[in-house]
Amino acid sequence: MSPTRRTLDARGLPCPQPVILARKALAEGGFDTLEITVDDAASRENLLKFGAYAKCQVEAVDEGGGVTRVRLSPQGLAPAPAKAEACPLPEGGPGGGPVEVVLLSADGIGQGDPGLARLLMRGFVYTLTEAERVPRRLLLMNSGVKLAVEGSESLANLQKLEARGVEVLACGTCLEFFGLTSCLAVGGITNMYEIAGHLMEGPTLSLG
Amino acid sequence: MLLLATYASSHAALRAEKALKAAGVPVELIPVPRQVQSLCGFGLLAEVPDGVLLQESGAENLWQVREPEAGQWRRTYEPYP
Repeated sequence: MSPTRRTLDARGLPCPQPVILARKALAEGGFDTLEITVDDAASRENLLKFGAYAKCQVEAVDEGGGVTRVRLSPQGLAPAPAKAEACPLPEGGPGGGPVEVVLLSADGIGQGDPGLARLLMRGFVYTLTEAERVPRRLLLMNSGVKLAVEGSESLANLQKLEARGVEVLACGTCLEFFGLTSCLAVGGITNMYEIAGHLMEGPTLSLG
Repeated sequence: MLLLATYASSHAALRAEKALKAAGVPVELIPVPRQVQSLCGFGLLAEVPDGVLLQESGAENLWQVREPEAGQWRRTYEPYP
């Protein structure tokens, strides 16, 4: 039997609609390849991330003029596609717009009792997963990197955020300092140049 | 089913988390959502067959948790049972 294809024209649809459509189509199934046409760079990137998350073979064909056909071919049993879209934030200057970068510089929030501080941080990371708007990036520094390693109570929630398109980046120096480099279980490793660059990109929230 | 248990205090929630984990019950400590009335700001999420274990852990109230619809992010909560 020849491979079947389902096509969706998502041009002109605002983010996160293309990913929502793709998620619904994948859940319905009945095809070998899902082809979604988009004309927005953020939607293209989100579909690529979503496809990888949903365990699809992913291919992007540039049609010119900003139009891309994204092909998602489910490979075997895909996990229930979960939250996978992070949309570009509206324009906003420092202090005035939505937060684009969240910096967690400790594994707890605030001073005083360390147990309470860690409890608050766990709660904050969980609550972010339920937020309507998520940041573009989550930067982890100092003991904040402990949130992203094997055994962390926040690991599953950071993975959920990553599946929504949040880029999770842990400070490599900090991981190395704590002997945790090989234990990182979500996101990537970054350095001070990248961190400084991201912090200067736009409105930032710092907790720790 | 996924249940949320609320407790009288943060200390009670933490004690219950420790006891349930020691008993092999996977639980997650989460901030209690606004729609749920509780004196304490943290509760325990647990995938359990019924509310017995959570009641035995000292829970004050139980809530059945519904996962968000497609395109939504917030779970919803109904009193249980």
